[in-house]
Amino acid sequence: MLTFWQKSTLLGCLMILVLLAGQGVSAVSPTEQVKSTVDQVIDVLRNSHAEGDARRAILSRLIRARFDFTIMSQRTLGPYWRQASAEEKKEFVQLYSDLLEASYIGRIEAYTNETVSYDSEQIEGNRAVVETVIHSGNTNIPIDYRMVQQKDGWFVYDVIVEDISLIRNYRSSYGEIVRREGFSGLFERMREKITEMHQASDAGAAAS
Amino acid sequence: MTVSINLRKVLLAILACLLLMATVARADDGSAPSAPDAAATAADYDWTQLDEDEQELQVSDPLEPVNRGIFWFNDKLYFYLFKPVARGYRVVPEPVRESVGNAFDNIGAPVRFLNSLLQGKVRGACYELATFMINSTWGLGGLFDLTPEETERPDAEDFGQTLGRYGSPPGFYLVLPFLGPSNARDFVGRFADSFVHPVSSPEYLIMKPLEVAGLQTYDRINALSLDKDTYEAIKRDALDPYLFVRNAYLQMRAARVAE
Repeated sequence: MLTFWQKSTLLGCLMILVLLAGQGVSAVSPTEQVKSTVDQVIDVLRNSHAEGDARRAILSRLIRARFDFTIMSQRTLGPYWRQASAEEKKEFVQLYSDLLEASYIGRIEAYTNETVSYDSEQIEGNRAVVETVIHSGNTNIPIDYRMVQQKDGWFVYDVIVEDISLIRNYRSSYGEIVRREGFSGLFERMREKITEMHQASDAGAAAS
Repeated sequence: MTVSINLRKVLLAILACLLLMATVARADDGSAPSAPDAAATAADYDWTQLDEDEQELQVSDPLEPVNRGIFWFNDKLYFYLFKPVARGYRVVPEPVRESVGNAFDNIGAPVRFLNSLLQGKVRGACYELATFMINSTWGLGGLFDLTPEETERPDAEDFGQTLGRYGSPPGFYLVLPFLGPSNARDFVGRFADSFVHPVSSPEYLIMKPLEVAGLQTYDRINALSLDKDTYEAIKRDALDPYLFVRNAYLQMRAARVAE
């Protein structure tokens, strides 16, 4: 029989082990998090029977759980973010999320039949870069995800396709549009684009 | 009784180890933030600034009105000429088109070899020379790419990158009719490379200008037939496709020069 002393020591050890295990669960690697999102998105694109808005809602939930659109908005507007009013910021984040989401789905959709490999990840403090490659025919398309660690996991804040950072590209384009046409001009263009993209993806889904 | 004493010692030892680990882990926290700390810094961080390894894209586009005109022309050319032809050409089986693509890729090796050499990239130069020799002979004029799959392909070097490597700035942005985005530096680079590229060179193959243009167009159509509507995706996604293509080109070239 174990003495009281032994029992309590054992209990203490178990508690510490449980605590350590709990930490292990929250420390899912950035690669695993990207992979699970990409896999789920591709699965919905291939197998889901939902259409139009219903399908978009499912994909949107998956994507918003992994992409931090607020950080992406801040990086895209750069100096203009600091000048924007609270309403303008809110409106921009909303439109930009819809736009990036539609564009991300469109890109992934074209590659649903290709294989994605997860090559390597570099973690530095609370930032990470996950390197993936899409193998399509005899060409390989490198796609890197830049991620930041938050309370509830790793979040994507930039996507780099063949050396081209999406955020840096949009940063210069959007900056130029705000400079020329103001926020109202930018929002108008964004709204038009979102409608256009939704129509295109509905037509594409109906055709396939 | 001795057994239970031993058990007690072992358990104590485990406990001590775990406590030690926990202390060490806490000591580490000072340098490497744990998850909650990281979240705090992520929220406080000024995300409107780019990362240290990223530079604000420098754009010089004094010819924008002209460039936009040529961009418009190239756009129409793409949708009403090149793309329909490429689509029709898809009757040729894909493996054949891939082989044609390989051959065009292979014949550009002298340009990549020379520019790797000029930039002191020994591995790239060796790779280009070796693959060119092997694929041109055993690969039947480059139709078959015999490079082992696990060999990592070096970046394709050209004279625009060589100039950049030695400090030349990109200069103003240019859209070339038929050829697409470029800049002052890369335009000079392209001109210089055309003397080295076997198809356009005045040496070795010696083709008439019309034959050169024909081959270059065929290369383009063949590549387009294998492409997955990249340009269509840009047109669909971008608020202003001209700005998107311009910024993407300048960003890609800056990254290529830095590599």
